[in-house]
Amino acid sequence: MSRLETLRTSIPDAAKDIKLNLQAVLQGGALTPEQRWGVAIASAAAARRGDLRDALIDEARREVPEAVVEDALAAAALMAMNNVYYRFRHMIGKPSYAGKPARLRMNRMVQPLTNKTDFELVSLAVSAIAGCEACIRAHEQVVVEGGLTEDAVNDAVRIAATVNAAATALEMASVAPAAAAPISA
Amino acid sequence: MLTVGDQLPSFKLQSVVSLEKGREFQELTHESSPGKWKVVFFWPMDFTFVCPTEIAEFGKRNRDFEDRDAQVFGVSTDTHYVHLAWRQNHADLKSLPFPMLADTKRELSVALGVLHKQDGVPLRATFIVDPTGVIRHASVNDLSVGRNVDEVLRVLDALQTDELCPCNWKKGEPTLEVA
Repeated sequence: MSRLETLRTSIPDAAKDIKLNLQAVLQGGALTPEQRWGVAIASAAAARRGDLRDALIDEARREVPEAVVEDALAAAALMAMNNVYYRFRHMIGKPSYAGKPARLRMNRMVQPLTNKTDFELVSLAVSAIAGCEACIRAHEQVVVEGGLTEDAVNDAVRIAATVNAAATALEMASVAPAAAAPISA
Repeated sequence: MLTVGDQLPSFKLQSVVSLEKGREFQELTHESSPGKWKVVFFWPMDFTFVCPTEIAEFGKRNRDFEDRDAQVFGVSTDTHYVHLAWRQNHADLKSLPFPMLADTKRELSVALGVLHKQDGVPLRATFIVDPTGVIRHASVNDLSVGRNVDEVLRVLDALQTDELCPCNWKKGEPTLEVA
């Protein structure tokens, strides 16, 4: 059994919907394999679930070049920073902050190993997990301008949502079963 | 002296890159590190006191420059044999990780305009050059004033740091283009 399948079967019954969704969203749809695996890996990294991330990387390496894995990790790392920083700027809503320079390096944004649109799609998925509204709008605009359909964007966010939930569900796998009722005399 | 916006003059110079026998010297040019930033710094002459301190400091921080995709070049007008002798004789310079260039004919120093007008040796000039060969920072200290490597890194960081994320997108703005 693959690492991913082993993990998937360890998801408890309480999260059975997630278990089934995880299988479904990673198959086919409107995304290329590069986009699908890129989004899934970055989402697991964003959800900070190392075993799920590594299992997804295992699967991805059978289908897509290493650049996809590298870009997914790069996007997850950058968004972990930018989603916090720019979300702050959007939420505070004061023009005075918008005028301050971020002075944060984000050079990898413009040096994707795959391509700009796929990198942006992965960034969009991670931003959805982080809940940065303006980041989501901005990345969606770039992705659609890059030629992807709204169906593709929708599928990417379905993957992000499911992988995020799978990370939560895997945390539950260690819940101890209820103690058996004591035998009454 | 050349300054911000000028093109780095072309050069082809002997350099000391190692203390290992037979591998000491290498000819380097302005095209030796394609795609990288360059930090070119000059000192007046080998075997003096201020020099090894700041040269060793550039050496200690070489990893920080590498992390920023920058190649450091140290230059004086001494010959490569003098550079080698200095490195062999000074503990702080033995494991220097960047090349010491020998601008023996003073072509690069003259082209950049960094020679001291009376003494004829290079001032303590520092240039940061972007991957397209354009000088983006130029500074010069008098002969007796050493440099602060932290400051060079700070300038390099500032030059390389831009808000490139569409997260920074404001309503009505066109989105960022790939550089």
